[in-house]
Amino acid sequence: MSASLIERVLWLLLAAFMIAVPWVVPALVNAFWVSVIAEILIWSLFAASVNLLFGYVGLLSFGQALYFGFGMYGVAIGIEDLHLSFWPAFGLGVVAAMAMALVTGVFAVRLTWHYFAIITVVFSLIFYFLALTNKWLTGGDDGINFTLPPVISIGGFSASLTDQTFQYFFILAIVALCFWLMQRLIASPLGRAFLAIRENDVRASLIGLNVYLLRLIAFVLAGFLAGVAGALFAFFGRYASASYMFYEVSGEAVVWAIVGGAGTLLGPLVGTTLFIIVREVVSTHWEHHALIVGAVAILVVIFAPKGVVGLWNDWIASLCARGEARADAVELRTEP
Amino acid sequence: MDKLFLLAMNGLIWGLIIALIALGLAIIFGLLDIINLAHGDFFMVGTVLAWATVQSTGSFWLAFIVAPLIGFVLGAAIQRVIIHPLHNAAALSIVATFGLSLILQESVRITYGPTPGRLLSPIPGTIPMFGVDYEIYRLFAAAMAIVALGGFFLFLNYTQIGTWMRAVRHDRETAIAMGIPAGRVYVLTFALGFALAALGGVVAAPITTVDFRGGVDILPFCFMAVIIGGLGNLPGTVAAAVLLSVLEGVIQSVADPTVARIASLVLMSAVLLLRPQGLFKGLTR
Repeated sequence: MSASLIERVLWLLLAAFMIAVPWVVPALVNAFWVSVIAEILIWSLFAASVNLLFGYVGLLSFGQALYFGFGMYGVAIGIEDLHLSFWPAFGLGVVAAMAMALVTGVFAVRLTWHYFAIITVVFSLIFYFLALTNKWLTGGDDGINFTLPPVISIGGFSASLTDQTFQYFFILAIVALCFWLMQRLIASPLGRAFLAIRENDVRASLIGLNVYLLRLIAFVLAGFLAGVAGALFAFFGRYASASYMFYEVSGEAVVWAIVGGAGTLLGPLVGTTLFIIVREVVSTHWEHHALIVGAVAILVVIFAPKGVVGLWNDWIASLCARGEARADAVELRTEP
Repeated sequence: MDKLFLLAMNGLIWGLIIALIALGLAIIFGLLDIINLAHGDFFMVGTVLAWATVQSTGSFWLAFIVAPLIGFVLGAAIQRVIIHPLHNAAALSIVATFGLSLILQESVRITYGPTPGRLLSPIPGTIPMFGVDYEIYRLFAAAMAIVALGGFFLFLNYTQIGTWMRAVRHDRETAIAMGIPAGRVYVLTFALGFALAALGGVVAAPITTVDFRGGVDILPFCFMAVIIGGLGNLPGTVAAAVLLSVLEGVIQSVADPTVARIASLVLMSAVLLLRPQGLFKGLTR
């Protein structure tokens, strides 16, 4: 069995499971877990925005919560204050996040590594404190609550996220679309250019890549992913709050992405799933679930420095290599 | 005018305490290349240890010995068990210290409890200064922080172990070739970093609240001091901590504390963009 075949089977299984969730999960556990899985999907998109920057371009952002928050507030302010309907509010959230990413990115991507990590956290803190003080617009820590407009309403037919199953499939569709776009991006020449910068930015610039511009593009695209995640989370929770712009929220996404496997497409999904499931399972039995979450984070980086997906890929690769070596004993064995 | 003096003075003293904590962060950052997200919690553990010492022995002063000592031992253990296996990989250290931060906060929440508390000032009373009645303990806290900072720089510059620390930071390979036990220097550095933060916690405990979330607001401020001061520039870190804090105090006399915080963050971005090598490059050394 080759590695690509195993991968294809897993993809099919994942897709089948995701589609079956609204029927299988309530039957196996209970209906509450459907909304947990929807939440995991949203947060994994947020972790993917960290992964796009860190895993593919080599920039560690500690301020993605800023764009998540702008996505949330774009939706909430759009619906509550501007009385927009569903899609324009969604659009406003995503555009606000991308515009913010462009404005801050123009400055931030001039820096790299430690300095980049610090400036992104500084920018996100500035707007976090601004959101806290400007209560008339943002509601501060209490946030803004809003009532959901219908997603589509044509004549007598209307669909709204208040329907649990529809909400799940809506979130699944948007998140799957974003992951598909990201996969296309990585395979495109633009994605190859990102990888070149991650490996060595000096060489990348010497072969004629505009490193600054490419980093800025990656930053805005990451802002797009975080903005979509934020907008979805606003629809999911029917509110927006400044507390989601705090640096700890950004930090969680960094942890999820690295634990899952930075630089792999599904790493953020795996990492987010691991942490949210541990949190949900343990918190029903034990109040102090944070101890377990902390221990899991530490154990994964010590025993699987490439993340869960990285560990899995290595394991599959060595398994396949062993199988091939047995099939063809004459072939010289090279380094795994 | 009185208000300005009071807030600037508070800012100065708070800045000296932050400098102690940020110094711990700076040596860990500079020597091990570890972005330590648990450093704010090291400070928080210090405040809780001060509270625990007062509860069990009735003496606050004992905490000045107990807390840094426990911090030192904890720091050494954490370096051996968690940090050492990561081989100074910065990205992994972020995840590991994030996990550590959760564990420290939750442990304190279990033992100390979730509600913030206050520690009574061990030196009650005020002293008139420039027309304001100023708390005596705050003056003592400033003196304590200055003594600790001075002691640390003497240790770093005039003892063998301090020289080792500087040597390993300067050039690890050569330092090892010269027979310096780099592994032990790493343990010691991390332990000292924790001890400094814990000492900062004890000094600050009667001024601030004792709370398991107490380190969360401190952390970004310490990182700012380290960066504005210039990576690896320890006197710069101290100067930046004091400068930022006094600035916030002065702005607070005319505006809301959050506005003051925003102003210092904006200043921080300007420094990062215009002088990423730090504000004081070329002034010291």
